[in-house]
Amino acid sequence: MLGAEQDAACADWINKCAASSWGSWMMQYQTLPRVFDYVKQDGVWTEVPSAAMASFPTSTMVNGKQTVTYTIADKAVWSDGEPIISADIKYTADQINTDKNVYDPTGYEKIEAVATPSPKVAVVTFKEPYASWTALFGADYGIQPSHILEGKDRDKLMKNGYSWSGGPWIAKWQKGVSVTLTPNPNYYGIKPTIQKVIFKIIADTAAEFQAFKAGEVLGIYPQPEPSSIATIKGGVPGTKSVYSAETGAVEALWLNNQAFPFDDVAVRQAIGYAIDRDAIVKRLFGALGVTKAVQSLNPPITAKYADLNAWGNYVPNPDKVNSLMTGAGWKKNGSGIWAKGAKTATFTLQSTAGNKRRELTEQILQQMLATAGFKMEIKNKSADDLFGSILTSGNYQASIYAQQATNINPGLCQIACTKAIPTKKNNQTGNNLSRISVPAADPLLEQVDTDANPATRIPASKQADQLLAADQVSLPLDPLPNIVLWSDRVGGPVGDNPVISMFWNMNEWTLQG
Amino acid sequence: MATYILRRVLYSIPVILIASFLLLWSVRQTFDPCAQFRTSQGGAASVARCRASLQLDDSIFTQYGHWLGDAVQGNLGQSQQTNAEVSTTITSAFWYTIQLIFWGILVSALLSILLGVYSAIRQYSIGDYTFTALAFIGLAMPPFWFGLIAIQFLSVELKDVLGTSQPVFGFVGLHSGDSTGFNMDYVRHLVLPVMTLTVQIIAEWSRFQRASMLDTMSADYIRTARAKGVPRRRVVVRHGLRNALIPLVTVMALDIGALFGGIVITEKIFSIPGMGRLFLTALLQGDVPVLEAWLVVTAIFIVLFNLLADVLYGVLDPRIRLS
Repeated sequence: MLGAEQDAACADWINKCAASSWGSWMMQYQTLPRVFDYVKQDGVWTEVPSAAMASFPTSTMVNGKQTVTYTIADKAVWSDGEPIISADIKYTADQINTDKNVYDPTGYEKIEAVATPSPKVAVVTFKEPYASWTALFGADYGIQPSHILEGKDRDKLMKNGYSWSGGPWIAKWQKGVSVTLTPNPNYYGIKPTIQKVIFKIIADTAAEFQAFKAGEVLGIYPQPEPSSIATIKGGVPGTKSVYSAETGAVEALWLNNQAFPFDDVAVRQAIGYAIDRDAIVKRLFGALGVTKAVQSLNPPITAKYADLNAWGNYVPNPDKVNSLMTGAGWKKNGSGIWAKGAKTATFTLQSTAGNKRRELTEQILQQMLATAGFKMEIKNKSADDLFGSILTSGNYQASIYAQQATNINPGLCQIACTKAIPTKKNNQTGNNLSRISVPAADPLLEQVDTDANPATRIPASKQADQLLAADQVSLPLDPLPNIVLWSDRVGGPVGDNPVISMFWNMNEWTLQG
Repeated sequence: MATYILRRVLYSIPVILIASFLLLWSVRQTFDPCAQFRTSQGGAASVARCRASLQLDDSIFTQYGHWLGDAVQGNLGQSQQTNAEVSTTITSAFWYTIQLIFWGILVSALLSILLGVYSAIRQYSIGDYTFTALAFIGLAMPPFWFGLIAIQFLSVELKDVLGTSQPVFGFVGLHSGDSTGFNMDYVRHLVLPVMTLTVQIIAEWSRFQRASMLDTMSADYIRTARAKGVPRRRVVVRHGLRNALIPLVTVMALDIGALFGGIVITEKIFSIPGMGRLFLTALLQGDVPVLEAWLVVTAIFIVLFNLLADVLYGVLDPRIRLS
């Protein structure tokens, strides 16, 4: 038995109701074939073809259009014995592009057509070059069975769970209680040796640790919360652990670049010099050995595309704060707060209420900023309000939240290109919630999205990082470390995978006793 | 008796209607049922479609009319977070909560009556003092703290002491693995959540029962019965206890509604997917259809238990139903 911190919301992975990571970890990655797995090679996380693929897909330019050819392994079949075929790839792409409630169509909307020249070969043609094509049919949606779902109500058939599989396990979902995995007898890769894996839903963090200590569950994958880190530091006999800062998440102090006082670049830069980010990271995750702040808005798993020292200059420097602020016409008032005319350098930070880690970060920030002459007020909101309306409407000054990558491709244009700022023109759908606009960085970020050549794509991405850092558009704080804890009874290659979780290779795990 | 029950049932209907209207109104004042569509691909158009489908631009009375019309046909809408039918979600959660409440009430009622009666008829004895002290300790135990302490000592530590591979008392859900049904595994998992849920209730009810019993036992008719030579046991059970139960029934009926508050914490700590956990999740996610249905179902539940209390009054004291 394993502990799961959340239940899945639904099991229709294309629908926006399937936003829970735990749902994907427990069921989607165990039952849906995907084009790529993600493994660490020479210290870098890399895509490798999954067991369902015969080879690494090829991307070429045909008649001026990017085409990607996917060849599915002959041995790859669904649990009912039907082969996994090119029509399944076409069906998946069509569903994502036509569903009104799709979770996120990024990349798929660039697909012009999916041809199926043979049952095992699919050729995807793009409307415009798409450099991150390796993100498609992977950890986001996988490949879905057309012979079961075509012409039917996919959402209705899948949302409450399903009994078919194209992966190593067949999942049975008892909502709110557990997910039970049993081996898929027709799996074409390494067959599971464990007879049954049960995920028990344990929503309370304290109870989750107690369940692990008591041996009720043999493995947990907890959030890096201050309380859980304290427990981990205490040690649990008979267990093993892995902590990794190489994750897909970057938590940052996001500044609204169009709102006072952060519409002034000098204030943004001064904020960067007022905060000791390493001290924050050490306070939050020092017990796990994670002590250094991240220096790029690119998450650690896309490190090869990041300038890993882009924000490196932003270390505590009171002289820099003073020179930047006075240079921009600010003076400290009687209370020691920077003021310009009738306005003071006072701002409100809104993050997710109830998140202990963020609340602790806020308290540390408040203290550091007060010392530097900035007054920060805290007004946290529910996640629903924060992400549903406040950030999208731009009616905020600063926030703390994490950007989470679901693949190892860079994608900062979505959150930092001028064209991605939510406006009436784009129906408020842009994801540049910080209203970042650095004109010199825009073409570089767009190049990162379209240039499939690593030799030019990587330098463009690093240069964009430097330009964003120079403008101090927002301040990257910490990587959210992944924590893997498991009992000695569990053997095999247990460890973290920042893209598809610790549970991605359970078919290779063993169980003693 | 039938007229009495019918009259009470009829009184309950307007109460439920008014309560459901106020609940629907307050939820829709607090949450925007279409908030999730603001960030969707359709943007403003999706929000407009959502508002039109829920008739949010109509008056609150019209909205309530639509909601009520669907609700009486069993259609409580779909969860905005899971796309699941709300009626199915509520039914599933309610089943878990009912199990906890049933066992909780049964254990609480039996223990508190036993302890209360014992303390009253053995007033100022060592037993009375002991149970009084325990009751005050129980009253001071917040469920969230007691639950975690119970897990630590009666599960984690006890397992180490006994050297077993599994804890004696389970605390993740109501079964181990994917087993179901009423069996030893179920009982093993029921002990700690029921203890957590009932520790304060037993403390409160036993004190109440003690006071009520003392009051009754000093009444003239008890003294008369004893003077007529009726055996002490019979006086206590048939004359004293029956009348002493009437105030307790009132408190029990009210507290069963209040149990839903304690259920939120108990179900979260013990990973039980009941009404409490459903409420917490829906509240945090702003899942309006689930919240509306949850609140109305809970209101109906409370009204029903008040109705039951009224009926029990009639059974215990014929003067009430005759008046």
